[in-house]
Amino acid sequence: MTDQTWAGCIVPDDLLYDVACDVWVRREDDEVVLGMTDVAQTASGRLVQITWLRVGRTVDRHRPLAAIESAKWVGPFPTPLSGVLVAVNAQAFGRDIAVANRDPYGAGWLARVRPTRWEQEAGLLVDGRQAFEHYRQVIAERKITCFRCAEQTR
Amino acid sequence: MTRVAPGEGVRVVYLYDQPAVRSQSVYHAVGYATGVDGPDTILVTTPAEPYVSIGYHQRAADELDLGTCAALGLPVVRREVGGGAVYLDSGQVFVNWVFRHDRLPPMLADRYARYAAVLVATYQGYGIPAELRPVNDIHVRGRKIGGTGAARLGEAELVVGSLMLDFDTETMAAVLRVSSVKMRDKVVGALRDYMTTMRRELGVEPDRDEVVDRYLAACSRFLGRPMVPGTLTAVELARARELDEVMSSPSWTHRTDGRRVAGVQIHAGVQVHATEYKAPAGLLRITTVVRDGVLAEVSIDGDVTVLPQDALTRLEAGLVGVGAGRGQILVAVEQWYDRTGVDAPGLPPAELVAAIVAALPAPG
Repeated sequence: MTDQTWAGCIVPDDLLYDVACDVWVRREDDEVVLGMTDVAQTASGRLVQITWLRVGRTVDRHRPLAAIESAKWVGPFPTPLSGVLVAVNAQAFGRDIAVANRDPYGAGWLARVRPTRWEQEAGLLVDGRQAFEHYRQVIAERKITCFRCAEQTR
Repeated sequence: MTRVAPGEGVRVVYLYDQPAVRSQSVYHAVGYATGVDGPDTILVTTPAEPYVSIGYHQRAADELDLGTCAALGLPVVRREVGGGAVYLDSGQVFVNWVFRHDRLPPMLADRYARYAAVLVATYQGYGIPAELRPVNDIHVRGRKIGGTGAARLGEAELVVGSLMLDFDTETMAAVLRVSSVKMRDKVVGALRDYMTTMRRELGVEPDRDEVVDRYLAACSRFLGRPMVPGTLTAVELARARELDEVMSSPSWTHRTDGRRVAGVQIHAGVQVHATEYKAPAGLLRITTVVRDGVLAEVSIDGDVTVLPQDALTRLEAGLVGVGAGRGQILVAVEQWYDRTGVDAPGLPPAELVAAIVAALPAPG
């Protein structure tokens, strides 16, 4: 993985992105792993609670897979691809609710989905290079500086 | 942020004297109905009846004394915005911004600062020295005046809050689920000490309509956009009716997968906590009020023998101003043992410190 960084915001170039909802996508065989981008976790602030959709549910593109509450905000975690929710990372968030604020592209992944409309919807995603250009512009326009939560101390 | 066309107004919808659930459902409905080209809206709402609202991830049974809520005839409405339980009535005018997500700053601190600036200016216009205490509290000489919250609903970002004309601290404290009468007394005291209202600051409750007019004038000034009175669309109304049903249902209100946050937060810098601690000497009941990381009040009682009789009272007084950390409390308690020659069988300093620490807010 190569990390491209702008204003502290990391955009790995080996991932796909739905930049409209700030979600990254990593394809693994016939499934995809999804998570919040660095920009998304920064904008949300430190998470305090997540409510997960039930595994096994079929979800349309841009519908929520989870409801996220940070210290100062509540919002959805939307899926960039229609499909079946096959797993959520409840265990990691159960151990450390701020794991996405510390490691958004690794241990802080949120959901695993088996896409049902990959052929039709994959083209709506962009690669890391395109995502980096997008975020560079957004970061400049909207004066964003990314930051991570410190490691857990207790 | 997406540029706003010159002269593009902000729709203002006045919704006074709404049923409790509608006063919450309506801003959710407008949020969900906001399309990618939808208008930016400020909803000015008051409830026709008092009620209690809880945060999205809260469990009503954990946070509220539901018996008291029922006895007082207070509906409970869970909102899709975070934060804590709050008693609401016509003393507050809700001013809820429902803006397209790209029309507000992306960083929460900036978004809250923009929202709060208008409230601050409105209060200051009345001579009330309000100021933003980041991230999202508004204070008057250290007392909080109203709360704010934010959420994403569909294409809209919401920032919600209120103009705090008046606030019923006694009822607020009565509806919260707390562990003891002493804890409730502390909550009442903390609400009185660390919250304020326009009535309290001015000596009289100001005229609601004038406050709203001044607020909207400030909105126009700060946003650089005209305020345009409007009404809800048929789509928004239909969505509000749907949400009325959902948000009135026990399955929505009394969800069981929420989280319990210990203690009561009065504002970002003030928390009231209580605990019962089983020491070798017996059961200790500790209640603390922590302000900005420092013990502002401590109450210690229980089934223990401590002599001389006024020793615990002296310790309570001696702990005020001590940092709310184990090390600082240990020093203060050990000094108290040395100074007062305390006879406390089965209650060594370490046990007393452990009991007090158990009644502190969790760090971070």
